[in-house]
Amino acid sequence: MEIRITRRQTGALALGTLLTAAGRARAADPSTFLNGAQMPMNLDPHQVFDVPMQGVMLNAYDNLYRYENDPPEIVPWLADGHTVSDDGLLWEFRLRPGIRFHDGSEMTAVDVVYSFRRVLGLGMAPAGAFLPILKPDKVTAPEPLLVRFQLEKPYAPFFAAIPIVSIVNPRAIQAHEQIGPNGTDWAKSWLASNAAGSGAYRIDPASYTPLERLDMTIFEDHFYGWKDNPKPVRRIAFRPTKETSTRVLALLNGTLDCTDNNLPTDQVARINASKNAVVIKDTNMRTFIVRMNNRKPPFDNLNARRAFAHAFNYEGFINDILGGYATRDPTPLPDTLWGYPKGAKGYDYDLVKAKAYFDKALAEGAPMKRAIEIHVQSENEQSVQSAQLFQSDLASIGANVKIIGDTWGNMITNAVKPETAPDMWVHWVSTYFVDPENWVGQMYDSQFHGTWKASSYYSNPEVDVLLRTARGLTRQEERAPLYEQATRQIMADCPDIWVYNSMQLQGYSRRVKGRRFCTVGAGAEMRWVTLEA
Amino acid sequence: MTRYLLRRLLLTIPSLFGLLVVTFLLIYIVPSDTAAAMAGDAATPEQIARLRHEMGLDQSVLAQFGLYLDRVLHLQFGESAFSHRAVAVDIAQRLPATLELTFFALFLSTALGIPLGVLCAVNHNRWPDFLLRFFSVLGVAVAAFWVAIMLQLLFSMQLGWLPLRGELSDEMLAPPRMTGFLLIDSALAWRWDAFADASRHLVLPAITLALGGLASITRFTRAGVLETLQKDFVLYERAVGYRRSRMIWIYVLRNSVTATLTQIGLLFGSLIAGGVVVEAIFDWPGIGSYTVQAILTGDHQVMLAVTLMIGVVYAGVNLLTDLVHGLVDPRLMETA
Repeated sequence: MEIRITRRQTGALALGTLLTAAGRARAADPSTFLNGAQMPMNLDPHQVFDVPMQGVMLNAYDNLYRYENDPPEIVPWLADGHTVSDDGLLWEFRLRPGIRFHDGSEMTAVDVVYSFRRVLGLGMAPAGAFLPILKPDKVTAPEPLLVRFQLEKPYAPFFAAIPIVSIVNPRAIQAHEQIGPNGTDWAKSWLASNAAGSGAYRIDPASYTPLERLDMTIFEDHFYGWKDNPKPVRRIAFRPTKETSTRVLALLNGTLDCTDNNLPTDQVARINASKNAVVIKDTNMRTFIVRMNNRKPPFDNLNARRAFAHAFNYEGFINDILGGYATRDPTPLPDTLWGYPKGAKGYDYDLVKAKAYFDKALAEGAPMKRAIEIHVQSENEQSVQSAQLFQSDLASIGANVKIIGDTWGNMITNAVKPETAPDMWVHWVSTYFVDPENWVGQMYDSQFHGTWKASSYYSNPEVDVLLRTARGLTRQEERAPLYEQATRQIMADCPDIWVYNSMQLQGYSRRVKGRRFCTVGAGAEMRWVTLEA
Repeated sequence: MTRYLLRRLLLTIPSLFGLLVVTFLLIYIVPSDTAAAMAGDAATPEQIARLRHEMGLDQSVLAQFGLYLDRVLHLQFGESAFSHRAVAVDIAQRLPATLELTFFALFLSTALGIPLGVLCAVNHNRWPDFLLRFFSVLGVAVAAFWVAIMLQLLFSMQLGWLPLRGELSDEMLAPPRMTGFLLIDSALAWRWDAFADASRHLVLPAITLALGGLASITRFTRAGVLETLQKDFVLYERAVGYRRSRMIWIYVLRNSVTATLTQIGLLFGSLIAGGVVVEAIFDWPGIGSYTVQAILTGDHQVMLAVTLMIGVVYAGVNLLTDLVHGLVDPRLMETA
């Protein structure tokens, strides 16, 4: 029998097929966490170390020590303890026995040695804290479960930086290493799309498309065990969304379990009003700064810098633009960190004072009326808004400021020389390790000139001495007063404008329970999370 | 015909070379430093300098260009400074999604734009003409991101008819990758569930992308048909009593679409460019977001390869347009 289908019937059939599933609400998979946060540039934790990487490294890899809780505490993780010599040069970490990598092989001290040597050999972001004080051959494994570090000079932040390094499995990596004239390439191309970890979740390399998608599945044999979370997430599906609007809609309709951790404040009420989702607010240690290039006039003049510092509308920016979701921090240090100068007042928003300093600087010959550029990250709304607010207030005291849209890549490139660093630029400083060194140490010690963190090119020998002395001591109670003193001096010199300490806003599905926040990982560690039906 | 095509093909070679030179110079002029961005937030100047040297970024512009040209001639496009994957692999993974979306949008624009343009012309200065002209101006004027959000709010959030984002539902198993075109792969694998799911995901981004093109094709077709309707042969066909619909849809339309065909060729380029926004809003895993990310991070190899690849595709589509032009109006081939 011949069946004849007319064109109209074919069309109806196609439309029917298309809409068959229409109107179906997505039944949330009870064991899959759909993660809408940004993905890192690649999957190698020894090449990339930034906020998006935390979602990969804290779940797929482990560290000797790890930051947990809020406020952050450094706790033993792969290591069950450590010792340090009195002179602060010799550090030893003892590994827990029986830890297994995802391929089933047992972790030993040799693997930890390989991991640190790989970090130092690649010399990329996570290496920054170690390169000045640690040589690859000074990381050794005297016993199967004992790792020894012999530092070149005392460096107290060494311990605080230990959680930066993920321990990788050399047996998985070495087969892919290419040996060239400069030695091994450490298989950096391979590990950028693959995995060699021991973490609570196992990366599925086949699912990976850079910056688009990645799946991880639970690792039942994780050394920490799962007793503290009997109903863990079985699968983490990274599905980053590029647009805030889509991200929020996806959270609201249940096709995502979380947004990124940079949610615009104008979305908070909308999400909280929904049945499906809620915004979780966490105070983190991410400071917001307007940099001034202290080598370029007029910013080589103290009164000019103070004029600018008094012209920023701190409260207006925090309350009106950020909806109050930040805390005013007048110092370069997060206000929850040890070493913070208690009672520090900082600069307030006062256009009368600003004008007075402006006139003083002008009288001293500073070119206060020249066109000054402030560079912002075009794709970041908050960065642009801060500059617009600042521009209007500065205009009222006679300063001529131009806002230049830029990218992060360009700005850090230009910031490495005082001649090319912008007059002013806006950025945040995140928590890479919990130590004042991460902020004042690396931002204002003149030995770091040439890095974006020290791009105000501030130089004060007295501050250098304080910071270097603090870095060489091992006891926190001895270091804290030195950082306090240095910070007060830096504030008096006013090299930058310190605005606020961030509040992390992240939208979560209401089915997500048990999340633990720690400022270092930005709450990205998933092993504590359960999904309610 | 062969000579005509060959000539067109040869002309694309200097165009592509020019594109390569201009893109390379533009990227060189822009003060972005892949090494600095790649080294990361905590890198020291020594780390950045070492990377810059390893990547050959400390060589002269001419040496860098020569090196790049040599690699391109050997069809090697290098690796992304960030993903460390071969750029060709990344592009091959993403390009089909962009082409699927672009061709579907182009199909929508053309399949709807030509009949609507004819409808406007035959109802010249009457209400269907006014109405469609109003909407065609609107189609050109309204920003794609606004339309996209409105469509998402209506069809995904309110009605729940169509998916909000992506090219396949998370719970849907993807068909085995053969061509990379999800619809084709689903059909080849006889996976009609995946085909239906992928079709549903395609609808909103394709409509958003098609709107601007639809408006311009409608306007070009309208103008072409109006002009042809004034020709003597139309008067003759009317006089001898040709059926009006046959006369309009076959004879008049064929003589009117030359400009529309040119427009379709050009439209392809603007759809690829417009796709960047649409891909971002709908999380479409195409070449658009990949390119934007490369620009933001200063990933030179990716920028160069994507520009060249889009240039090649664009040249191919224009070649195809020339071919169709020649078929529709054989006089063009003779004069060429």
